[in-house]
Amino acid sequence: MATTTATITLSSADLLSDNMSLSATMNLYKNGTTATGLEQLNYHRALIPTGTNFDLIPESAALSEDASYVYICLKNTDVTDYVKISINSEEIGRLYAGDWLFMPWDCDLTHATADSSIEIEAFTHDATIEYMLFHSGETLLTAGD
Amino acid sequence: MATTTATITISSADIADNAISVSNTATLYTAGTDTGISETTGLGRKKVATASNVVLLDGGLTSGIAADVTADKSAKVYIKNHNDRGDGTKYVNILLAAVEIGRLYGGDWMFIPWCAADGKDIEFTPSDATETTLEYTCFYE
Repeated sequence: MATTTATITLSSADLLSDNMSLSATMNLYKNGTTATGLEQLNYHRALIPTGTNFDLIPESAALSEDASYVYICLKNTDVTDYVKISINSEEIGRLYAGDWLFMPWDCDLTHATADSSIEIEAFTHDATIEYMLFHSGETLLTAGD
Repeated sequence: MATTTATITISSADIADNAISVSNTATLYTAGTDTGISETTGLGRKKVATASNVVLLDGGLTSGIAADVTADKSAKVYIKNHNDRGDGTKYVNILLAAVEIGRLYGGDWMFIPWCAADGKDIEFTPSDATETTLEYTCFYE
């Protein structure tokens, strides 16, 4: 098993009248375990053209009802650039230049009208993103040739 | 304007042949600008003892803690499941409206953008009716 940690620090010296600093660290464990770390990782960098909503991370039976974690960072530097992140046709929100997200992901394969792939669409300019998926298994496709 | 930053570090010494460490800091700006976000719900803590669906942040309402969040901008939400991990089977399902995003097990956290449009509530459903404690905050314009 692997040991992977994710730490967040939120801080501001002037949003409130006193300093704000919040930090949390988590271990990325498998579903239903007390301390067994996820062992599989996909780490990508991609250019997302504007004008189309793409499946960034496709749904998969192997990812259903399980503990997976997703990190996405928009590497663009123009502050007007953004990407919409959606799941099951619901927009979660927008990542602007330099923004990142980290969230759990559980494919809901029971949804009848849409799939639970994580979708992305770029606006203003093409988007350069980096993303990671920590997971416990992929549905591998049998070679067709 | 305020300067608020969110930093993430993901690291592992043994998930791959070489150690990985990914770190990024986002400064929280209003949509399409380099002006810092200046509003927050503050840090909240919510305890429930139910296995039913619970609304954490209500999108599009004219009252409530998220009433001033402007939809389709650059709001960000932090949520942490404050419970112990226990035996690893207790979690909360985090949902956007009726769509499941994923599971936060005890000790897990998440940080996501939020469209905050009408009806796009952030909700959670505990896996059982024992006490569940979440911490959360929203930064918005």
